Amino acid sequence: MYKRTRFYDFTYYNFIGTWAWVLHRLAGLALIFYLSLHVWVISSLTYGEKTFNEVMAFLSSPLFKLLEVGLWGVILFHAFNGVRIVVVDFFKGSLVQKKLFIVLIALAFFLWALGSFMLLRHAF
Amino acid sequence: MEKNFKQTSRSGSIPWLLQRISAVILFILLLFHFITYHFLTQTRSVAYLQVMKRAQSWWFPLLQFMFLITALYHGLNGVWSVLEDYTTSKFWRLVWYSLLLTVGTVLLFVGTLTIIKLYTLKIA
Repeated sequence: MYKRTRFYDFTYYNFIGTWAWVLHRLAGLALIFYLSLHVWVISSLTYGEKTFNEVMAFLSSPLFKLLEVGLWGVILFHAFNGVRIVVVDFFKGSLVQKKLFIVLIALAFFLWALGSFMLLRHAF
Repeated sequence: MEKNFKQTSRSGSIPWLLQRISAVILFILLLFHFITYHFLTQTRSVAYLQVMKRAQSWWFPLLQFMFLITALYHGLNGVWSVLEDYTTSKFWRLVWYSLLLTVGTVLLFVGTLTIIKLYTLKIA
């Protein structure tokens, strides 16, 4: 019998892969929560120009811009760690998964900075 | 032994593969979506006519519907795989699974309705 791995078994938290796994799940849960809200809010854009402008004005406030920057970061983390998962599962990436994590997260961080600039340049 | 082999059809290997296929599709679609809708439309106000014009081109419903089903599948299947890890009782698994299926159906309905409404809306 093997010992079952549990998320509160802290001996596993010395590994980069465990953190990637935990954060990937948390990011994923946050994103499906956001997607639900997103689908719901976007449905209110179909009631003509007046409602559309009201909703968009509400969503263009600095607070929502900052939340959007956070969202972009969560998406990039999940997406680029997702690339790592696919490479590990299909292309023998397990041999280089730690290096892969660092390289991909660095790339994601670069895109996050770039995107955040694009999002915030008209916000304030 | 024989019993174990029979159960391989319920091993979850097909959802596992679909999760990765949908991930690759989402990686491309979501980056495209963020560039077109979040970065390039960033002005002080999002132009109603510009958005509506794009929503009524022939490729819009097809692309958005594909985006919607892929994102919902990937997201809800992801939540399911997290819940599966921590829920052993058959009763609670059924409850969670039904709940996710309901959420998925409602969001698919709301999202599809939005796509159709945007496509058929008369622009003043």
